[in-house]
Amino acid sequence: MEESPQPPAGIEGSGLKGPFAVGAYAEMLRDELRGRARLQLFGELWNLRRSKFRVYFELRDARGAVPCSMWLDKFDALGDSAQAIAEGAQIVVAGGPDYYPGSKTSSPSFSFDVTALRVAGEGDLLAKLEALRQQLRAEGLFEPQKLLERPQLPQTIGVVTSETGKARDDVLAGLKRRGWAGTIIWGFAPVQDRRAAGAITEALVDLAGIEQVETIIVARGGGSLADLFAFCDETLCRTVAMLRVPVISSVGHHTDHTLIDDVSAESCSTPTHAAEAAVPIDVTAEREALRAATSTLVRHAQSAVVGRARALAALARVPGAHIASQRKDLHQGAREVRAAGQRRLILERERTRTVAEVLRRKAEAGAGAETLTRTRSLEGLSSALAAHDPARMIERGFAMVETDAGAVVTSAAQARSEGKVRLRFADGDVAAKITEDDD
Amino acid sequence: MTEPEQSYELATARLEEIIRRLDSGEAGLRETLDLVKEGRTLVEYCAGELEAVSQGLEEIKLDELIARLDDQSPEGE
Repeated sequence: MEESPQPPAGIEGSGLKGPFAVGAYAEMLRDELRGRARLQLFGELWNLRRSKFRVYFELRDARGAVPCSMWLDKFDALGDSAQAIAEGAQIVVAGGPDYYPGSKTSSPSFSFDVTALRVAGEGDLLAKLEALRQQLRAEGLFEPQKLLERPQLPQTIGVVTSETGKARDDVLAGLKRRGWAGTIIWGFAPVQDRRAAGAITEALVDLAGIEQVETIIVARGGGSLADLFAFCDETLCRTVAMLRVPVISSVGHHTDHTLIDDVSAESCSTPTHAAEAAVPIDVTAEREALRAATSTLVRHAQSAVVGRARALAALARVPGAHIASQRKDLHQGAREVRAAGQRRLILERERTRTVAEVLRRKAEAGAGAETLTRTRSLEGLSSALAAHDPARMIERGFAMVETDAGAVVTSAAQARSEGKVRLRFADGDVAAKITEDDD
Repeated sequence: MTEPEQSYELATARLEEIIRRLDSGEAGLRETLDLVKEGRTLVEYCAGELEAVSQGLEEIKLDELIARLDDQSPEGE
């Protein structure tokens, strides 16, 4: 950076030296602080944070605090005691004040440059906090909030948070994710200075006094445990425990655990989760589920009537259907019987034919001389019989007298009594009338 | 007999119970029609509750609300 060649005019009337260029003064301040005596300090460690090369923390006690920094490699060289160091731990540091003069593009900073560190014990603040936690638990103050009824769909939600913090946006994002768009009453309050606990308590009481408020969210983003100490305030925690409205807390990161988390109805890791816990149901999904429920009801209503009407109609058709079914069965049975008879007939006919053929063949095989003689004798008898056949007599010129009914008239008296007869010749018959002349 | 105080969670729980009963197919005609009627009433109630948180986000500052109530208070007394 180029030095200003010509300093501007000073403040009129001021008797002080200068003006001097600030950079030169900053360097002088650094040198002066570095020249101060090196010494040891003790106090509680708070706000421990790491950068690429250094660790930063604050050394605090009841009267005041000093920002400290230490080279990371020296801090890590402390081993397990450094890794296990907790917020509020009692430590002793050795070193001296230092000043980083900054530049046109970087900010200046003061810190106590720590060259050695020793963990001396657990901090008083943490010990007091733990004692208060035990006391509140023993008094049963962790329970009342958890026993309160939690509305699934609150229409009005109270939120206590910083007006400018990111937690406010996170709460809104969580509610939006649920599809919730009701009424929010913002109880804005400081969330980390010494006025915070009182202001938060007052906002909570006021919100709980509004009849429409069904749930209250207390939200604060991440920070050191020292920053979050307002949420461990005894009065605040006792007040929360006795509120009629459920309080959902989300203070710091998920690893932080303040006393308000113990006494509230539910403790969430982030303000977004707190918002989702305040509205447990997804409004959009619920609307869809309600539509499905409506369809189910309509379906049941229809099937209750239409389905039963169909069932009744089916029952009314049952006798006819039963007879038709029986008739069908009978017809089928008859067809089967007929088919079985036909099959049996064919089989019997075939068998009979076979037996007849066998008999015929046996007869032929068994026919001998005796059979021939008998045959001839039969032929002789047949010829003798034919000689006495009336038809043969008629062929020789006789006629046969018959009644109209075809009976043979064998006497004149019978012919006379018949009156009408038929004379039968070889070539036909002739009707004749019996008359008797007296002369 | 006084009606118990209705809430969304009670209404949805009863609605689920009704649908389970209807789906079981064990309810007779009269019971089915009664359940459907009750279910429709519950659906209307739930739809109203959902509608109430779907009208658009309203944001009120507690300080302003208290100031407003304080202003109204003397007139009311």
